[in-house]
Amino acid sequence: MPNRVAIVGIGQTRHQNTRLDVTLPEMINEAVRAALADAELSLKDIEAVFTSSMETFEGIYLPDHGGAAEIGTYMKPGFKVGTGGTSGASVVVEGFSMVSGGLYDLALVIGFEKQDCGETTAAITAAATPIWGKGAVTGAIGEFAKQALSYLETSGAKEEHAAMVRLKADRGACLNEYSHLKLGLKSIDEVLQSGYLVWPLRMLDFCPQSSGACALIFAEEKKAKKISKKPVWIADVEVVHQEPFRAGTFGDPTGKETYTQHVACERLYKRNGITKPMKDIDMAELYEPSNWEEMSLYEHFHFCEKNEGWKLVEQGVTEIEGAFPVNPSGGVIATNPIGATPTIRVAEAALQIRGDAGGHQVPKDIKTALATALGGPNWTVLTLLKRSL
Amino acid sequence: MAKKNPKEKNTKEKEPEYISVQFDAPRKYRWSTGKYMGRTYQEAKENKKLVANRCVKCKEVLWPPVEVCGRCKVEAGEDWVELSQTGTVMQYTYLVYPLWDPHYGEKFANPYPNAMILLDGGVYIRHFLEETDQKKLKVGMRVQAVWREDHERGEGTADVKYFRTIDS
Amino acid sequence: MTERVGICAVAQTKYSPEREDAYEGELAYEAIKQVLEETGLTLSDVDSAVSCSQDFWDGRTISNMNIQPFVGAHLSHEDKVAEDGLNAVYCGMAQVLSGHQEIVLVVAHMKESMAEKSLIENAAFDPITMRQLGMDFLSAAALQAKRYMYKYGITAEQCAKVAVKNRGNGMNNPFAQEPMEIRVEDVLNSKLLASPIRKLDAKPVSDGACAMILAPAKRARKITKKPVWILGASNCYEAHYLGDRDLADCAALTQAARKAYSMAGIRNPLREIDVAEISEEFTYQELLWTEGLGFCDRGEGGKLVDSGKTRMGGKLPVNPSGGLLSGNPNGVAGMARVAEAVLQLRGQAGKRQVPGAKIALAHGVTGICGQHQAVMILGKK
Repeated sequence: MPNRVAIVGIGQTRHQNTRLDVTLPEMINEAVRAALADAELSLKDIEAVFTSSMETFEGIYLPDHGGAAEIGTYMKPGFKVGTGGTSGASVVVEGFSMVSGGLYDLALVIGFEKQDCGETTAAITAAATPIWGKGAVTGAIGEFAKQALSYLETSGAKEEHAAMVRLKADRGACLNEYSHLKLGLKSIDEVLQSGYLVWPLRMLDFCPQSSGACALIFAEEKKAKKISKKPVWIADVEVVHQEPFRAGTFGDPTGKETYTQHVACERLYKRNGITKPMKDIDMAELYEPSNWEEMSLYEHFHFCEKNEGWKLVEQGVTEIEGAFPVNPSGGVIATNPIGATPTIRVAEAALQIRGDAGGHQVPKDIKTALATALGGPNWTVLTLLKRSL
Repeated sequence: MAKKNPKEKNTKEKEPEYISVQFDAPRKYRWSTGKYMGRTYQEAKENKKLVANRCVKCKEVLWPPVEVCGRCKVEAGEDWVELSQTGTVMQYTYLVYPLWDPHYGEKFANPYPNAMILLDGGVYIRHFLEETDQKKLKVGMRVQAVWREDHERGEGTADVKYFRTIDS
Repeated sequence: MTERVGICAVAQTKYSPEREDAYEGELAYEAIKQVLEETGLTLSDVDSAVSCSQDFWDGRTISNMNIQPFVGAHLSHEDKVAEDGLNAVYCGMAQVLSGHQEIVLVVAHMKESMAEKSLIENAAFDPITMRQLGMDFLSAAALQAKRYMYKYGITAEQCAKVAVKNRGNGMNNPFAQEPMEIRVEDVLNSKLLASPIRKLDAKPVSDGACAMILAPAKRARKITKKPVWILGASNCYEAHYLGDRDLADCAALTQAARKAYSMAGIRNPLREIDVAEISEEFTYQELLWTEGLGFCDRGEGGKLVDSGKTRMGGKLPVNPSGGLLSGNPNGVAGMARVAEAVLQLRGQAGKRQVPGAKIALAHGVTGICGQHQAVMILGKK
């Protein structure tokens, strides 16, 4: 019988555009210390360390090796994973496998990215096969612009709905001490006045480049119950990758292809007896690189029917005080250190279950939460967290 | 240039100056095109044709051509087909900021449109458009491939300079 | 742990100094195709794929996209481990042990010929303090070799014996890239690269791929008549800065080995292990790693190779495949060691077979002077 695994420690850095004051290992160290302090453990107790980052962003080969002392890998087992946007969740899955499989009782899982080191868009563009590179380069922004255009044209949503999502995210971010962009937006007009980056995506519609790290401590059941009064259980995970869509990256205008989001959530929901996601789950931390994508994701994850995502926004369902809060932390659109972002989604969902999210804690009691990750081209990783199994 | 308010000088603390290390050396790579994309590169260079293989199982034309059909999970086979060079713009984005191409070390002159084109015959291809006036861009417009000169070719799809708007 | 994890099939491409003809994915598929054919499985039967490649080497962010279609990742589980290939096998093993996955396809690919080795390896050094020294893995290894030889009196001749042994063993391995019948003098007279490392002391630039299929015991027995069991595995990181550790020691390897032995119930490696495939990027490393693995005492690596115990026919043959010196790309190397160990245990190692091998050890390294070490113990029963 595989072991049950819980998150017993959570730590993040205060995510920022640049962290010129620290080296990469020093930055990671901050998150590790925070997680250890949260769990009231010391590095001695940790048996293995698993890391995630996209090293091309920093231009550092083998970043889990550099600064082994600061990261916590010194004289410990572990390895690094790297799967692009979903990397931070892939490491959660691998850490979960290791503890669940009985190889380690206490593991440290870290996602990190220091994007001030390098040229992020160039690095993302380098994800296109180099042999096909020249004609297709638009970076992530271009691809999400296409998705936004699709959604605008087919779903009935208006730019105002996207602006409302952006406001919601900013409200959450301003209450979240760790988030990067705290803009203090007061009205949707402010969003609608920001300039277009790649039409129809405006400056404020897309996620920033952040530098930050997030560390989680996983423990097997017996240890978890001893270490933490509020262990957050990893009930299930699901990883689904795909061949790139023929006519898009994050959206399929042909309507013929299958979305990983559908496959992943259908498998996860079935295994966990979830038939009405917004009732059976209490909230979600989605990986939404743009506000338009967030509305699409509501539909993909079956929170509502197709082309109705914007209605949830209009009705305030996904607001922090709503019936089904989504991204009370501010989401990816406020904070995006790529290698860490999915790990942050899991961390934020866990904090909500514990009731420890501070200023951005949702008012309703959270027993079950869904954390998602999105990577190129449209890969999905889901993590289902519960207060009790 | 804004002048500093003399009062500000006393109340504001000096911003810390961080020392950082710069690194600018280019990293060189040599990517093999292999058997399948290699053939596409060759046809583009020598014959100004776009070719791809059709999966023996699902019968879809695989672009870029590949040995194993990702969706069917079987070897796709070597049924090579020539793609049409005219198509319809399905979607486009208009990039207004300069984008680094890390593979070729160039910065694309902006603004420029990048489009998803449905070639006649059913294959989607992503490429640049010749038309840089955003007002003239329209979903549904008909376009045709424009090739680079003989001596310039040898870079696969980049051998197609851009797609030019044509009257339908 | 409830079930044991079995390796059902392994495959390697013939290692080559340059595979100009193959795109990374096609290269990986050469190995993947073989394991699928051997087991009769198809890509649709694969529950999860664990790949191993480096973005820096492939020149592509998310380098596992190069092999997406070839591992059947469409609408399926996939992950990429960015360390030496042995760690990908370890990761796949955990996925099976956790009960989340059953048929796991593990693959590593690497084309060292496609990029500038020194520049990439230089990027592993701390950008603030070490990179401007222009170091790469070769120059760092030279430091380690010098320190190791100084501390324990290891001689250049003893190091050269490793090259003679391994390159000679490579003559029996159809996958080996540069097998050679050489003498100690040939090594000592070969071109000096970075003192004390000479050309024949160093592993050559190599392209290749390796793949294998893992499954839980119940299914492994149905898929193949000769499953090989993973009895123990572990890995460990060392300190990063070269001055933070005594390069003549390999504490990380000792720890990784100790954990792996403990899992496998091995108390006396020299006696209980029948064959070892270890990752020697340079000749001195084989001597140092044999110490870390407990085949001999600290500082006695030179004496061990002198004794002939690690030769073919000796008490514990090391690298009957010819090892990395005969040609193996980094990243693939550790997984290839597991593949060779599996062939030995199945009695399928042809001319390089160690007769009656029942327990084998595979070892992999990643990073500067083997900063990351991984050890795996495999068995027939």
